[in-house]
Amino acid sequence: MALIDVVNLSKAFGPKVVLSNVNLQVQEGESLVVLGGSGTGKTVLLRNIMGLLTPDAGHVAIEGKIIAQLKREELFKVRQSIGMCFQMAALFDSMTVFENVAFGLRRHLEISEEEVRSRVDECLSMVGMKGTDKLKPAELSGGMKRRVGFARAIALKPKILLFDEPTTGLDPVMTDVIGRVILDLKHELGVTTITITHDLKSAFEIADRIALLFRGECIACEPPDAFKANPHPVIQQFLRGDADGPFLQDPPPPKRKSQEAHP
Amino acid sequence: MVLTFIDKTGASVLSALDTAGDFATLAGRTFVAIFKRPFDGKNLLNQFQAVGVHSLPVVILTSVAVSMVFAVQLAFGFRQFQAEGLAAQVEGLAIVRELGPVITGLMLSGRIGSAMAAELGTMQVTEQIDALECLATDPIHYLFVPRFLASIVVVPLLTVISIYVGFWGGYMILVGVEGQSAFVYSHEFYKLLAFRDLRIALYKALVFGMIIALVGCWKGYRTQGGAEGVGNAPTSSVVTSSLWILISDFFLTKLLLV
Repeated sequence: MALIDVVNLSKAFGPKVVLSNVNLQVQEGESLVVLGGSGTGKTVLLRNIMGLLTPDAGHVAIEGKIIAQLKREELFKVRQSIGMCFQMAALFDSMTVFENVAFGLRRHLEISEEEVRSRVDECLSMVGMKGTDKLKPAELSGGMKRRVGFARAIALKPKILLFDEPTTGLDPVMTDVIGRVILDLKHELGVTTITITHDLKSAFEIADRIALLFRGECIACEPPDAFKANPHPVIQQFLRGDADGPFLQDPPPPKRKSQEAHP
Repeated sequence: MVLTFIDKTGASVLSALDTAGDFATLAGRTFVAIFKRPFDGKNLLNQFQAVGVHSLPVVILTSVAVSMVFAVQLAFGFRQFQAEGLAAQVEGLAIVRELGPVITGLMLSGRIGSAMAAELGTMQVTEQIDALECLATDPIHYLFVPRFLASIVVVPLLTVISIYVGFWGGYMILVGVEGQSAFVYSHEFYKLLAFRDLRIALYKALVFGMIIALVGCWKGYRTQGGAEGVGNAPTSSVVTSSLWILISDFFLTKLLLV
């Protein structure tokens, strides 16, 4: 049985269909990367997995439990086994880094303050953020916030980690740092991960399988080598990063020749 | 044309019912969540400080100002027919029964209700409330309950302070300016009042506290649309809670004075 089972998942907001009959299975310990253009429903997929949204049709099951059918207390129990890393980190801005990472530990585990401190230090070390525990989120850069968000997500030792565009808006060097941190977490913790990203370099490093969402549908879900070799024109266009092709709904403006631009 | 009108009216009624239902659901969930574990004492104390201690100057200043203005008006009015002695009695009645609780309620809806809406609204648009959900924490329990408890305790306490300060505001005008006897003022201030009046004032303050916290948190929690939404949430919270404070004041007065 797959650890995460997404079955015929559909979700629409008003007339706009965001996900249509998406099927994905993620096995325990596996690392799935979900690619797709902006607005193709990648974040909506993660929010359905976390139970933050309710599917219009189909379902998401974690360890066989259908998320949308769980009572709130049961849902919270399942969520304790999932760590969610938000696109903009979503750190609690009234708390310090330490309090952010300790939040879940203090609320859900009956452990001493010493043990909390030791676990927070351990988590911050794993993401390369040791010594920042007294800082407030406003004092951190974008990349640092994301890493503190990772530390908060792994504090409760989850079985599953979900990363929502962890590198968006970061410079190429910090993007590489975040990619390495995700890779380290994957190897050190052995968790099951779903990562949504636009960064192909880290996607191919992290992924056991890569899925591509296109206009709400999952058009491919296969190992990185097979994904690269897939002849589907949308996949090939996405890998090339070319504006011309079937990927965009509205055709892009024609490419200017360099002589026309600079006569 | 007629059908369009009926259609629009129906849609407005449905939308209003939807909004009322949403508020009632969240209010109900807040009442239920009060008894849930874990109890977050630190969070509650922070709210007591934000709602209570930090509101003290505002409540004191407005109570002094309103009671002084009211005393000036009463002294002037009663002087028209040589009944200056009644000014202290009416001052006492007005401050304890109406001005104390209503002015405190309105000021706190502006100060703490708007702060709650802005804080929760910001948390909503920056995904911090989603982060709470993902950390297996009920936002109603973590965010609504401490604010609600702090409000229902602090608003009655601040109302008592407002009444006490109001007594001295009237004293400054009627004794200090109008030259009435301090002993007579102190005696006359309470002459028309019974213990029931203070109890009514505290009941009102309790209801106002509930309105302020629930409306403030609800408006913040339902914020949508980024910076514009966060900007609208406090305004909407102040308008809604002020309106409900004034409406509920009428019904509470009718109900409790019978």
